[in-house]
Amino acid sequence: MVGRDSVSTVLNVIRGRLSAAASVCLSLFPSLPLRNALLAALLISLSAPYLLAQQEDDTPKAIPIIIGGAGFITTFDGGQPHLGPLIAPVVLVPLGDRWLIESRATFESDLSQPPGSSSFHGKVLKEVDYLQLDFIANPYLTVTVGRFLTPFGIFNERLYPIWIRNLQTDPLILPIGIGPSNASTGAMVRGGFKATSTFDINYALYFSTLSTVSPLDSSRFAGGRVGIFIPESRIEIGGSFQHLLQDDRSNSFGFHGAWQPSAVPLDLRGEYQRSSEGSGYWIESAYRLSQAPFWQNAMRRTQLVARLQQFYIGKIPSDSLPPADTRQFEFGVNYYFRDGLRAVSSYGREFSQLENKNIWTIGLTYRFAIPLGHGDEN
Amino acid sequence: MRFKGKIIAGLLVTILGGVLYAAGQEQAKGPETTSVSTTGSDSTVGSKPSHSQALQGAADRRVEGEKRFHANCGRCHMAPHKFPPRMMATIERHMRVRAMITAEDMQLILGYMTE
Repeated sequence: MVGRDSVSTVLNVIRGRLSAAASVCLSLFPSLPLRNALLAALLISLSAPYLLAQQEDDTPKAIPIIIGGAGFITTFDGGQPHLGPLIAPVVLVPLGDRWLIESRATFESDLSQPPGSSSFHGKVLKEVDYLQLDFIANPYLTVTVGRFLTPFGIFNERLYPIWIRNLQTDPLILPIGIGPSNASTGAMVRGGFKATSTFDINYALYFSTLSTVSPLDSSRFAGGRVGIFIPESRIEIGGSFQHLLQDDRSNSFGFHGAWQPSAVPLDLRGEYQRSSEGSGYWIESAYRLSQAPFWQNAMRRTQLVARLQQFYIGKIPSDSLPPADTRQFEFGVNYYFRDGLRAVSSYGREFSQLENKNIWTIGLTYRFAIPLGHGDEN
Repeated sequence: MRFKGKIIAGLLVTILGGVLYAAGQEQAKGPETTSVSTTGSDSTVGSKPSHSQALQGAADRRVEGEKRFHANCGRCHMAPHKFPPRMMATIERHMRVRAMITAEDMQLILGYMTE
């Protein structure tokens, strides 16, 4: 009886969430022709599973889980100390074989010393980074609705989590093209497929509507990103484009690249972005010392990181971008205690028309994963 | 408004193209045959392989799964250790959306990570 009630409750919750997602989707497209077009697209996508083969029986059934990152980063920015505890859980709820609800919330604080005080004070900032419903229509297409990380460049969507990023400071150009709260509110289609035997193509096309509800605000824009990945040589290159559908209706674009050569434990990544608010680039290399012939147990856990970046102000000032032309060089050392747990440290020097300053960081990051069910059973 | 219409039309064309192409691929492939690329060329594993062929196929899939695991997961982060199978299935779905990894790569990676 209890089991039947539980199933009924879960089904009601799922039904309610799907209904809410459809309502949000329709409210985003008030125009009748556009709404019909979107509904037609969704209908086609929804019918796709019945055209395709079903999931193999021996594939493990997915269960809801919580994964995410946590950390404590101390920053000395121009001599001023800041303490930064952070936890960012990601909730993943699979529905059936093709649906996924995913959401990330961030709880963080920036504790600093007020003038004349020896103690640290600050508020806990809470934000829902994304809350999206994904439908894997077929091997080439996934439809996403809700609030999602804007796929402009690669840092915001793929490298942002505290346990992934090699340096804890944000790239100067990160705010370009990702909206006021790093996320979009609307719909997106995306996917990756093998174009030939030598390379894969991945793409994302999205539309975001205007939202002024802080901290869930987003701009009205549309855009896309396309990339090519060559698995054999581990090279990825791509580009992003975005058209703002409000204010100055300007265009933004960018390019990204990454290379992980097989012969050496080296990661090379970089981005260039340009918009009416500014332009710039960052290029980062990270080298794991696993090939060092001495102290191998410690060396294989040690990673050296370097990043060079520049930002040039644009025609329109932005609160989230530097107020003047800026150059920055950073060097870091990370030490991996075990999978998911590492110590991070870095030193950076920033050169700006307004001031030059040093930026030091030191801290710990941790990646966790918690099953909300029995993970071992099929 | 005109630009928005073009965007919607572009989305529709993309969705339609993807669905039709995928459906065509699935029909051409057949329901019980899977193909695994091991050394650059495709080797097809039939629906009723012998015991030795099945073992060789499993070994090939494991090697290919490990290779694709390092190539794809290493694009963004250090390759993690293995999680329990049902957790891995959820993470696989999440990463397929987030990192836009191909369906074939995800099948091989999931097989390698849950064996």
